[in-house]
Amino acid sequence: MRNIWTVATNTFREAVRDRVLYNLVFFALLMMGAAILVGQVSIGIEDSVIVSLGLTAISVIGIFIAVFIGVGLVSKEIDKRTLYALLAKPVQRWEFLLGKYGGLVLTLTVNTAAMAVGLYVALWTVKHPLERSDWYVLVAVYLILLKLALIVALAMLFSCFTTPFLAILFTAGLYVAGVFAEDLRTMQAVGLAPETMKLLRGISYLLPNFENFNVMGAVAHSRGVPASLVWQDTWYALLYASLVLATAAVVFSRRNLK
Amino acid sequence: MTGKNMAVWWLPVLLLAGFTGVWHLQESIDQQKNATQLEQDQLMLLSGKLVQKLSLEYAPLMGAIYWTRVVQYFGEKHRLHQTNLELLWPLLDIATTVDPHLMPAYRFGSMFLSDHPPRGEGRPDLAVQLLERGIRANPEQWRLYQDLGNVYYFDAKDYPKASAAFAEGSKNPKAMIWMKVMAAKIAAEGESPETSYFLWQQVYQSTTDPMVKKNAGEHIRLMQVELDLKAINRLSDDFQKQTGHRAARINELVQAGLLNGVPLDPDGFPYALGDDGKAELNLDSPLLEKQLLEKQFSGPSSP
Repeated sequence: MRNIWTVATNTFREAVRDRVLYNLVFFALLMMGAAILVGQVSIGIEDSVIVSLGLTAISVIGIFIAVFIGVGLVSKEIDKRTLYALLAKPVQRWEFLLGKYGGLVLTLTVNTAAMAVGLYVALWTVKHPLERSDWYVLVAVYLILLKLALIVALAMLFSCFTTPFLAILFTAGLYVAGVFAEDLRTMQAVGLAPETMKLLRGISYLLPNFENFNVMGAVAHSRGVPASLVWQDTWYALLYASLVLATAAVVFSRRNLK
Repeated sequence: MTGKNMAVWWLPVLLLAGFTGVWHLQESIDQQKNATQLEQDQLMLLSGKLVQKLSLEYAPLMGAIYWTRVVQYFGEKHRLHQTNLELLWPLLDIATTVDPHLMPAYRFGSMFLSDHPPRGEGRPDLAVQLLERGIRANPEQWRLYQDLGNVYYFDAKDYPKASAAFAEGSKNPKAMIWMKVMAAKIAAEGESPETSYFLWQQVYQSTTDPMVKKNAGEHIRLMQVELDLKAINRLSDDFQKQTGHRAARINELVQAGLLNGVPLDPDGFPYALGDDGKAELNLDSPLLEKQLLEKQFSGPSSP
């Protein structure tokens, strides 16, 4: 556990040194611009635009970080040969992997939390005082964070057995497929054969369903999200990410690093 | 057997058990989402559905962007005094398909669609279609029934349907009590200046948008003019019964004691009597131009 924590904190420090958190400046500018402009170009949806734009930015920026940095976590260490020095110490490969994962999730948590604060500042400028329903935005932010944690796990899995370029493609492809996972279950209208339908249904359950974490529509219109759904999504993300990381650990432990 | 080999043997078992858990969790998440209406219609029949799908999970932002485009499009056409609004409906269609809970798109969009030219597109049929879609997606929003009733009342001139819309909306526990009153009044009387005046007042009081408020304010003033003219004409009729001739000037009604003074329109200009002895707006009143415009385009417009 200590090894994992050491790797995680170092990964976080490395991300900060690599100026990953500079994206916050972009986010701040975006939210400031939106807060100023939104009142002038739309009718009646100022707060809704701020919320949906803010959550979209949090999600998109987070996905970029999760995919691109997630893929590079392992491959960079191999390319720079820093991994060999690390593995010469009493650190298991799976500990290294989990530490890297934890470090990036920690980075994303800090990044997402800072962006959430920025979102609330922008929201406050177009609408004050804030209402109780505005705090539902935090639920959406939390679910985005769960989604990002799952994407990082997938990116790490792919980076364990293929090139960074292919790992990015696989992760991005699986993300898009995961967004459409629900559609695979509701394709009866297309008139597919029952066997195909069953197969698609099975695949839809195996794919990571990223729509589970999407409550932007609800919170942008001040609708609450049931606590039970948040719990289920949390368990879903934990379970799925654990399975992916377990697979990644096995693949990485058998990888020939020579 | 080494630890690495053990892990390889255990992994399929772990994955099988794990994905069984994922499957069960997904089923309960689906049930939960269905129960709380977080899931949206999946039919891909309209182009809006395609936009919704292409926008991945960012549909609410796309909806907001499309709604902003509606506002920009409508505002630009207004500024240029152009009456061809052929893109209005497709844009509204996409905005509300992408985000079915975008209330301003239903409420303001139906006004833009139903209001007669040059203020709107003059398509109450499309406004009804838009509002009915809004009601299907947001049955708890009684204001949509109010808007539907207004479109039927002011533009479609379909009073039974207007009454039915107000009556349906009044069933919502959160609906204002006047919804029921309007339903009964319209069912009994059809169109009347008092009803129109009241409905415009409701729009004026409920909106926070300055443009809509200004429009509603103008209509309220015009409806007030209509009610004032009706009252003056009634007094003029009484004067004719008493004296045997029609009053030529308002002052005659004042001198006869029927009025306390020369009544003023909402902009502060005195009313006058025309050549036919009927009450009318003063030629200097700014409301005269607005009244003529209203008459040119099929009577009082929708809110």
